[in-house]
Amino acid sequence: MITVTSVTLAVILAVFVRSLQEGSYAKMIENAVGQFTGYVQVHQKDYWDDQSLDNGMEINDSLLEIIHSIPQIIGVNMRLESIALASNEKNTKGVLVMGINTISEDSMLNLSNKIINGKYLNPNDSSILIGSKLAHFLNIVTGDTLVLLGQGHWGQSAIGAYPVKGIVKMPSVEIDRQIVFMPIKLAQSFYSFPNGITSMVVKFNDATLTQSITNKLNNKLKRSDYRAIPWQKMSPELVQEIQSDRSGGIFMIAVLYMIIAFGVFGTTLMMTEERKKEFAVMVAIGTQKTKLMVVSLYENLLINGLAILIGTLLSIPLVYYYSINPMRLSGDAAVSMENLGIEPIMPTTLSADIFLHQIIVILIIVGIAILYPLISLGRMNVINSLRR
Amino acid sequence: MKVIEIKNLHKIYHDTEVEVKAVNGVNLEFEEGEFSAIVGPSGSGKTTLLNVIGGLDAPSSGSVIIDGTDIGTLSSREMIDFRLHNIGFVFQAYNLIPVLTARENAEFIMQLQKKSRAERDARIAELFTAIGIQGKEDIRPNRLSGGQQQRVAVARALASKPKFILADEPTANLDSKSTTNLLDIMRKLNEEENVTFIFSTHDQRVIDRAKRVIVLDDGKVTKDTKTEQ
Repeated sequence: MITVTSVTLAVILAVFVRSLQEGSYAKMIENAVGQFTGYVQVHQKDYWDDQSLDNGMEINDSLLEIIHSIPQIIGVNMRLESIALASNEKNTKGVLVMGINTISEDSMLNLSNKIINGKYLNPNDSSILIGSKLAHFLNIVTGDTLVLLGQGHWGQSAIGAYPVKGIVKMPSVEIDRQIVFMPIKLAQSFYSFPNGITSMVVKFNDATLTQSITNKLNNKLKRSDYRAIPWQKMSPELVQEIQSDRSGGIFMIAVLYMIIAFGVFGTTLMMTEERKKEFAVMVAIGTQKTKLMVVSLYENLLINGLAILIGTLLSIPLVYYYSINPMRLSGDAAVSMENLGIEPIMPTTLSADIFLHQIIVILIIVGIAILYPLISLGRMNVINSLRR
Repeated sequence: MKVIEIKNLHKIYHDTEVEVKAVNGVNLEFEEGEFSAIVGPSGSGKTTLLNVIGGLDAPSSGSVIIDGTDIGTLSSREMIDFRLHNIGFVFQAYNLIPVLTARENAEFIMQLQKKSRAERDARIAELFTAIGIQGKEDIRPNRLSGGQQQRVAVARALASKPKFILADEPTANLDSKSTTNLLDIMRKLNEEENVTFIFSTHDQRVIDRAKRVIVLDDGKVTKDTKTEQ
């Protein structure tokens, strides 16, 4: 009973902790990447190193055809992004202007739900949306006009005054401080770049396919002037954040495994020591040690197998519950996550891999622990054990 | 008929800095049907001698020959197998397996001997009648009295039909009535079924019922007396 309880708790704990870690990373990536840059973008090949409009491209049907030839890709959002100076009365600030397809981008950026004041854009609007922190800095409210000044395509001047149709609250504070959204046609006009875009955001459902889709695209684009790049290259700071968190996570899971190993080994040791006299009696009356070892092995496999099964079954509802009701962080941790554009929640993931990996790890721990009764039985001194 | 022959047996322990000669040059012979008590003060080597005879401990030198087999020549596996078929043990603390019932405890050794269900049932019925605990077959040891547990232990020792039974202080944990009952049973089995019993004991009641009393002191046999009983 003690062994079953110990191993059951070990499985639940290991599955829950790993699921929480991986769920949080997935949420981080989804928030910071999936809902902003996208997992993969296609650019003109020099654009990423020198993000100027001069390295932009024109909408190109053959390129779209190549992108859509990969079956997992479900859509493409075209963007025209550049920088400008935004000014209102006494305040001026450098901003990121993003020309977007207001209809198709809404499913990705979900801007219509992030509006805290005003309305969302229509494709033919001549108005803009701005981030709430930018609005606060420039002291702008819905209906005010924002003056934008920048450099257009091939060195042309880009000047415009645009009414603010709505104010959006972006999850990333950094983006919220500098973002200006406008319909792509308006952006093309502002930057004097008709039919021009800087990036094509490739949409697909499974984030784990990022690298393979990037590779497939680059393979198809290798003779062209375009390149696909994955989110890891676009958001190195997020990669670093996840890596640093993962190192902490690995340490934490290592400590957890050690606690689990001690727990499992402790109960196995106790169970063996408690029964040593019983085993000694059996050997004294004529039971071969090898037979006892086989029985002990079966017994341990049965007990631990049952415990792993119970632990797995019990961990499923627990992991499921926290995947739909994630833990919400507060305080500095929450602020730090929000600054990275990540919602401060820690959901679990129901990925089968997590369950499988944890079961394998616990099986390895149990496998090592059950060597003890076998070794102990093999070396048992019957006289000493009978004296217990 | 000679069942056990012990020749110049020594058992020396080196556990501590001082060498302990637990058994020091013992020469003994036991005939079939003996009811012998090995007596002596604590530390005289009684239990060690029994352990060596039973093959639970190896002698430092000398030999123990049981029914023509020098047990010192047997491998560990062979010794266990030899015990299964030739030697019965009764321990001071009964040492029944707590998760098994009285019947299962006694039956266990016959299962190791691969006896059929019918053979086992017949032997259990016979033994439980002989030791007077019919009706307790399906009870686990923790619900039996000390005397009843020791009787089950005797049944277990006899179940395999061994050549002899080694009983290490079998009455040490029993009250007077249980001791008398147990001795009556063992003596009856000895007389009616010619079972050979060798005890180590302090208990005067056991000594009084023994047919032979061997006194051990500092690992040596100092007296070996046969009584007329």
